[in-house]
Amino acid sequence: MKIKSRKKLILYISVLIVGILIIQACKTYSNFRSNYDDANKLLHATENLQTKPFLKAHLKNGDICILNNSWEIDTISNIVNGHGSKYDFNRKLEYIGEIKLQIDSVAIFETNKKLSGAESTRIAALSILAGIDVAVALLCAANPKACFGSCPTFYINENDNFHYADAEGFSNAISPSMEYGDIDALNDQHIIDNTFSITMKNEALESHCVKDVKIFAYPIKEDERVYQSPKNDFYLCENQYSLSKAEADEGNITSLLRNQDQQERFSYTDEKNLNSKETIYLTFYNIEHTNNLGLILNFRQTLLTTYLFYSAMGYMGDNVGDMFALLENNNELRNNFDNTTKLLGGIEVYAFNQINDSWELQNDFNETGPIAINKQIIPLHNTPTSSKVKLKIVLNKGLWRIDYVSLTNIKEKVSPLEIPPTSIFINGKPDKTSLAKINDPNKYLISMPGCEFKFNFTFPIKDSSYELFLYSKGYYLEWMREHWIKDKKLLKLQQMVYYPEMFLKAEAKDFKSYETNMEEQFWNSRIDTKTFSYYEN
Amino acid sequence: MKIKSIIFGLFSIIVCSCTSPRYLTSSDRIDVNEYGSHIKIDHKSLSSIEGELIAIDSNTIVILQETSMNKCTIFKTEDIKKFKLRYAKPKHYGWTIPVYTLATISHGVFLLLTAPLNLIVTTAVTIGGERAFTYDNDDLTYEELKIFARFPQGIPCNVDIKDIRLSLPPTKRAK
Repeated sequence: MKIKSRKKLILYISVLIVGILIIQACKTYSNFRSNYDDANKLLHATENLQTKPFLKAHLKNGDICILNNSWEIDTISNIVNGHGSKYDFNRKLEYIGEIKLQIDSVAIFETNKKLSGAESTRIAALSILAGIDVAVALLCAANPKACFGSCPTFYINENDNFHYADAEGFSNAISPSMEYGDIDALNDQHIIDNTFSITMKNEALESHCVKDVKIFAYPIKEDERVYQSPKNDFYLCENQYSLSKAEADEGNITSLLRNQDQQERFSYTDEKNLNSKETIYLTFYNIEHTNNLGLILNFRQTLLTTYLFYSAMGYMGDNVGDMFALLENNNELRNNFDNTTKLLGGIEVYAFNQINDSWELQNDFNETGPIAINKQIIPLHNTPTSSKVKLKIVLNKGLWRIDYVSLTNIKEKVSPLEIPPTSIFINGKPDKTSLAKINDPNKYLISMPGCEFKFNFTFPIKDSSYELFLYSKGYYLEWMREHWIKDKKLLKLQQMVYYPEMFLKAEAKDFKSYETNMEEQFWNSRIDTKTFSYYEN
Repeated sequence: MKIKSIIFGLFSIIVCSCTSPRYLTSSDRIDVNEYGSHIKIDHKSLSSIEGELIAIDSNTIVILQETSMNKCTIFKTEDIKKFKLRYAKPKHYGWTIPVYTLATISHGVFLLLTAPLNLIVTTAVTIGGERAFTYDNDDLTYEELKIFARFPQGIPCNVDIKDIRLSLPPTKRAK
């Protein structure tokens, strides 16, 4: 409802702006010229004017005298005096200087009002428009993600904007050879009849090549949930244990991580080295069943990886086409291309072994993308000896936003149903061509900026609850921006790929000035809503 | 087809907005301009005619056509379907349509909103700029049109219309 009101407001304001600017733009003039065939009428019309207008005297012989505003009429001797120019009937200049005209020789006197501010309204309209354009461009330059988005975004509610994306597909697949399938949790959904829809949008300046979209669904009973691991295994779980205490460098952060409320904990990067780790200590008390525990984490990335990717594109400059061709054909380069993000790493999970008095690595979460929140589980290898569980997560500073942490008991590993789309709608109309493409493993559904596809899925059982996951496979091609081309620095690109440690140190200062502004703008524009399905769990 | 028509329309607006008759003055100098206004008429049987408005009487209109070797032609007002008069040089804003609209590429996804906004406003500004100093037969009668002629009093008795020429000063020629 809030979003609809907001959209309406934006629409009304836009229409209002357009209306005002068009009215401004279309200003015309009237009644600025007057003709007098009698000198007395001219005198009468101009007697109260502070500044007299220039006077054109059209003579009976076809000549014209144009007098400046010092002209005078002598009604006694019937003479017009003034300083000006005289032209013949072909408008050839004959004379400039003092002019005396017999009134009888004048056929018509003409005066004109100055067209004051003739163009000022149109210039004002263009200036206002330029102001709006510059403001939006600056906002987008400071906060590219807010304007350019990233990879395909998926929405259960098709009217949501990217702040409420339920999933984002294949964020790392930036060229054809990097294509992969991506799974994102969509939470538990009660399917009232047997249909479910999700809308895929291209909100970025990118070409999306989508090979597959399907739903993974697992029917669940009350108090059951299914979570996905970073290795894309699915675990049926029961019981949920809330976080008791969380501590980071800044102090107690329990309130930020205890609830799924989008109040996320994040930090800023180290000003001397982007590759700097930090540790968060997590403690859980009163765990009733300590067998088969799994750590649930709701997380997403900050805009750091986006910055690095955009930087890489900028460093390529006008060689971007050649570079991507190399990426396609050179395995080594392709493997090294994301060395910086590999170095930044994921979120490593450690469990405290009370017997050995040591921290033991369990696994790590790692999913690219700053938009949709990932909800994943890592099964813990260690079985605690008491009802108190101590964990720590080690992560790169300024790279991750964590919303929620909890423990659960894993019942079993399960295999969800794979449900392909039964129809695809574009602009409210079914599109068989798109459906045929998505169901053909050798074809791609191409989505260009602004495109929206609504995928409909048919479930085997009506009126049931399912844990849903979205599977999307494909790749995307980022569009080169004109202002990036001037950033071409191939040596910097080389450093990024082959000497990532050095690059992350060197880039720390530049990113720091960008980071605060970027993150603030991105998240200040967030809309809080309780209607978001994410909160209904 | 629709898109082609829109592109053609915009292209026409941009191109048309780049030409002005030589004897027209800028809007801030209309009080010292010695020439008549520019008029374009749609004739019932001839193709459209344009040139400097020389004079009008009750039945005829005299136009100094630029295309017919600088010569005056007389037309009966009853043969004129419509006319359009321009009394000052318009400011050309045609360039703003592509420049402003293309600039919205820096707006990312918001270009879906800002590109049409820019297109609509700049088109309106361009059309407004072109129409700012014009009148047509809906705005003026032939009687009122007289005041925009080189000879608002009519063709002087001593002047043969064959002798009327367009005599531009060197600076205006240069333009």
